[in-house]
Amino acid sequence: MDTDLQGLAGLVHTPLFGILLTLASYQFALWVYGKSNSLPLFHPFLVASIPVIVVLPMVGVDYEEYREQTSLIAFLLGPATVALAWPLYRQLHTVRSVLTPIVIATLIGAFIAAGISVGLAWWLGAPEDVIASLAPKSITTPIAVEVVKSTGGSESLVAGAVAITGIVGALAAGPIYRLLKVKDDRIRGFALGLVAHAIGTARAFEYGEKAGAFSGLALGLCGLVTALALPWIWPWIAGLLS
Amino acid sequence: MIDGLLILLFFQFLGEVVIRLTGLPLPAPVLGMVLLLMALLLNAPFTQRVATAAGTLIKHISLLIFPLGVGIVLQWDRYQENALALVVAVVGGTIISLILVTLMLKLLMGGKHQEKEDGHGH
Repeated sequence: MDTDLQGLAGLVHTPLFGILLTLASYQFALWVYGKSNSLPLFHPFLVASIPVIVVLPMVGVDYEEYREQTSLIAFLLGPATVALAWPLYRQLHTVRSVLTPIVIATLIGAFIAAGISVGLAWWLGAPEDVIASLAPKSITTPIAVEVVKSTGGSESLVAGAVAITGIVGALAAGPIYRLLKVKDDRIRGFALGLVAHAIGTARAFEYGEKAGAFSGLALGLCGLVTALALPWIWPWIAGLLS
Repeated sequence: MIDGLLILLFFQFLGEVVIRLTGLPLPAPVLGMVLLLMALLLNAPFTQRVATAAGTLIKHISLLIFPLGVGIVLQWDRYQENALALVVAVVGGTIISLILVTLMLKLLMGGKHQEKEDGHGH
């Protein structure tokens, strides 16, 4: 009887438990997100985290062990990053005529988005690994996580920073566009996609198809530019900061 | 779905091979993405079949990343001493970036607004 219970308790230390908990939390989060009419504050990233954060300490599984249990899910981030070529390809087709100003805007915008957060974190005295985790926060998570692996930041921190950036950007876009009197859907979409990646793109689609397409394009290009540039220039920035 | 996944993994592998051969300081999946994009633009055979798998993975990207994000809360003792810098850089940095990027776009694209207006009324 005693061993039966122990065997049962041991179940929480299997990948099956971690993956089941992860999928159930995600399914629950999708349901909440749908019920809230896709409110950025109820984004699945935030809601799905809650059951996991509550359950793991209760059953005595620490974060390191959970990461190992769910390594199958983490593995899929690789192919998901490669998959971003597909929407990028589709949107490049639709906006070929305005490609030059868009590429220029992406180069400057990617620099602004990364530079501001790096500058603020450095100014407030954050150590190098924290700053490294913030530099790619405006780009879509799979790419950001891959980039952080080569600049020496924390995967947890970058995943969280990226998600919160998306949520803040999606919430702030409405007031900012009203304040700056932006009525051009191309600009609304492009700025959202550049600064607030996929969550911003979901918000951009509320302005219409055109804003959504420009947002998706900005997301793809900004991710590409940052991922290609940051691993080269990071050692140089790190040298300046220390 | 499986054919698409096969293509994605193949290009990720290709990225890995190129990086190991050349020592480029890039993440292999990012290089895989660039290679797949080039293959798509060059109309390489089969590459269009990536659509379903790519769409599914991207749609459920939150599922793939939130298990990383919970680490911030579960390992908070690692991050708490930098809490202020983190909050200011993430929240403040995002708002400032959005304002600056919007202003830059107005400058770059604003003038072309008139001529490019294509009048699709929906």
